[in-house]
Amino acid sequence: MTTMNPSAPRPARPIPQGRNRFERAMWLFMRFSGLALLFLALSHFGFQHIIVGTHQLTSEDTIVRWGLAGESITLAQLFWRLYYGVMVLLAMLHGLNGLRQVAYDYLKNKVVYNVFMAAAAALILAATALGVIALIVGVNASGAAEALAR
Amino acid sequence: MSALISTVRASLTYRGREGHWLWLLHRVSGLGVLLFLILHVIGMSSAFVSLEIHDRLLEMYKTPPFAIGELALAFGLIFHAVNGTRIAILELKPELWQKQQLATRLAIVIVALLAAPTIIIMALGSINAFFGPGAGH
Repeated sequence: MTTMNPSAPRPARPIPQGRNRFERAMWLFMRFSGLALLFLALSHFGFQHIIVGTHQLTSEDTIVRWGLAGESITLAQLFWRLYYGVMVLLAMLHGLNGLRQVAYDYLKNKVVYNVFMAAAAALILAATALGVIALIVGVNASGAAEALAR
Repeated sequence: MSALISTVRASLTYRGREGHWLWLLHRVSGLGVLLFLILHVIGMSSAFVSLEIHDRLLEMYKTPPFAIGELALAFGLIFHAVNGTRIAILELKPELWQKQQLATRLAIVIVALLAAPTIIIMALGSINAFFGPGAGH
């Protein structure tokens, strides 16, 4: 342990070296995913929530943007699917790791921590899988057609 | 449980001034955005199950509780983005740590400049939808 010189500038949080490869990888992931999400999440929020506005949203917009299941998609729809696919993956993993760090600080009991993180990881990974599968499949309009026919 | 309470209490009462409040708000906003993200992704995925369910969920988003929650989301997202950038820059350039108080205050100013117009525009949109001409449709 080196003695600290109180007047010397201290690094904010040194990169974990050597033994803890996982934490180092996660530390790097949080920076890079955070940088990507800075553009992805803010552009998505700015467009859908501020410029368009939630009150103007209809399911037709969803169909136009993402395309119908079973039909070939346009280049624009492919772009939106990739845009949202990358965003969902990065945001969910960024959130899962952030939650892990917070839980590690507050849940001191190892059993409680493990159970909580297993449940949280299962929920987050299930939601991610649902979102990605949905983006690959496309909008299912058959239910709406049946509803209109009734 | 007592360990949890004392850790949470220490988080709230530690007097680290602005830097500490930003640290605390980064955690709270991160957890809030994560909770919304999970609900939002499950909700939007409904379009791929049934357009009928998707329509009902979109209508639910247009109700007052969701409109208020959306304002909190806007602030949380902007705060987490700006403060996260501050953290990443300070860690990348440790020599800037000497100016950390300036960075902290700069982050607060940028959050205010981005969040204020966003929240005003969204609140006006909601007020118009709930009380303006054609409200209730």
